[in-house]
Amino acid sequence: MPFVKAQKTNAYFKRFQVKFKRRREGKTDYRARNRLINQDKNKYNTPKYRLVARFTNKDIVAQIVHASISGDIVLAAAYAHELPRYGLEVGLTNYAAAYCVGLLLARRTLKQLEMDDEYEGNVEATGEDFTVEPGETRRPFRALLDVGLVKTTTGNRVFGVLKGALDGGIDIPHSEKRFAGFNKDSKQLDPEVHRKYIYGGHVAAYMRTLMEDEPEKYQSHFSEFIKRGFEPDSIEGMYKKVHTAIRANPEAKKSEKAPPKEHKRYNLKKLSYEERKAKLIDRLKALNSAAGADDSDEED
Amino acid sequence: MPAGHGVRSRTRDSFSRPFRKKGYIPLSTYLRTYKIGDYVDVKVNGAVHKGMPHKFYHGRTGRVWNVTKRAIGVEVNKQVGNRIIRKRIHVRVEHVQPSRCTEEFKLRKVKNDQLKAEAKAKGEVISTKRQPEGPKPGFMVEGATLETVTPIPYDVVNDLKGGY
Repeated sequence: MPFVKAQKTNAYFKRFQVKFKRRREGKTDYRARNRLINQDKNKYNTPKYRLVARFTNKDIVAQIVHASISGDIVLAAAYAHELPRYGLEVGLTNYAAAYCVGLLLARRTLKQLEMDDEYEGNVEATGEDFTVEPGETRRPFRALLDVGLVKTTTGNRVFGVLKGALDGGIDIPHSEKRFAGFNKDSKQLDPEVHRKYIYGGHVAAYMRTLMEDEPEKYQSHFSEFIKRGFEPDSIEGMYKKVHTAIRANPEAKKSEKAPPKEHKRYNLKKLSYEERKAKLIDRLKALNSAAGADDSDEED
Repeated sequence: MPAGHGVRSRTRDSFSRPFRKKGYIPLSTYLRTYKIGDYVDVKVNGAVHKGMPHKFYHGRTGRVWNVTKRAIGVEVNKQVGNRIIRKRIHVRVEHVQPSRCTEEFKLRKVKNDQLKAEAKAKGEVISTKRQPEGPKPGFMVEGATLETVTPIPYDVVNDLKGGY
């Protein structure tokens, strides 16, 4: 092998400073996290809640979290895979589903904090910008939106979650600039367009175009929709039913899970400090008794 | 060119971040809360440029007298000439750590209260005062053999060998 100068010498590794673990994994933006978590010192232990909205390929995760030194504490969480309970089984990661998840999370937290009667939020989703009015006894529950590493373009699904939570009755400082339907030129939100997205109107429109132009693709792409008998026109009604079902019972259901199986342990278990000291004493005793036998032979 | 006495003069090493700990500072520094009357250590974090105390206060310990949005007011003793002045400075929370100087005292206070309550229940009188360590108790030396050492008689022939 020809002589190649080693690029990463031992010296390189010795001086290498790793980034924070979650930064190495590419999961946390510490600059944003710093600004979201930092609480005014003269507010002492008042928690600063953030509405965390994350999207996977097949699921949506929405949580209300507040930070602590031993780790973040989740107050309430809502997932898109819970939506089948409320009647939505397909299209679990689209804008309309994101709205449902936000709404579910908001109603769940308010019910948990016993504020759900006072803060109904926007019952009829119109797509207009809605902010919670302060109620009589308690001030509204305030959270800050945490998008993670997503690019915040207009019409992004995280803002669907945001809109759902707002309509659910949580106070989140926001602007309507990034909602679907915001017109960059006129600098105004078109509530009609936004309402269309909340009720899956964009999905219905795509279904209609596919049905006319490419029926085979329509069959393959929307096969689950067809299997459940969803027509482009019935989609809006379906989402309306899901919203009412969510508002009726937002309680989280504990899932029954079997206790995890015991696996065979392939590596040695780490001993505690007492165990290690005891082991050392045993070893010394054994050495001493063996050495004592030798010593008594050599003494003469 | 003369040395210069700027605010951050002679702080090249004390304000620099430790080896392999540069860059972002861990967020737990922002999550700690401080109340008025707590004792805190002032330790400058060179990564944050705002709200730094003067280099004199690096390594000092003082009491909190004020809490604002992002900073803490600390009261530190400084010797000026022939007297000690209680100086009040404001420092951002990144340059402050909770001090453990009163930790032992607080634990002892709790333990003493507990002991006193127990003694009162039993009806006996105890003293919770700390006593200084006294002289060590006497002990017997085990497994010692006596070896008597005597000087050897002077042998002229042997000692002069090789040197005469």
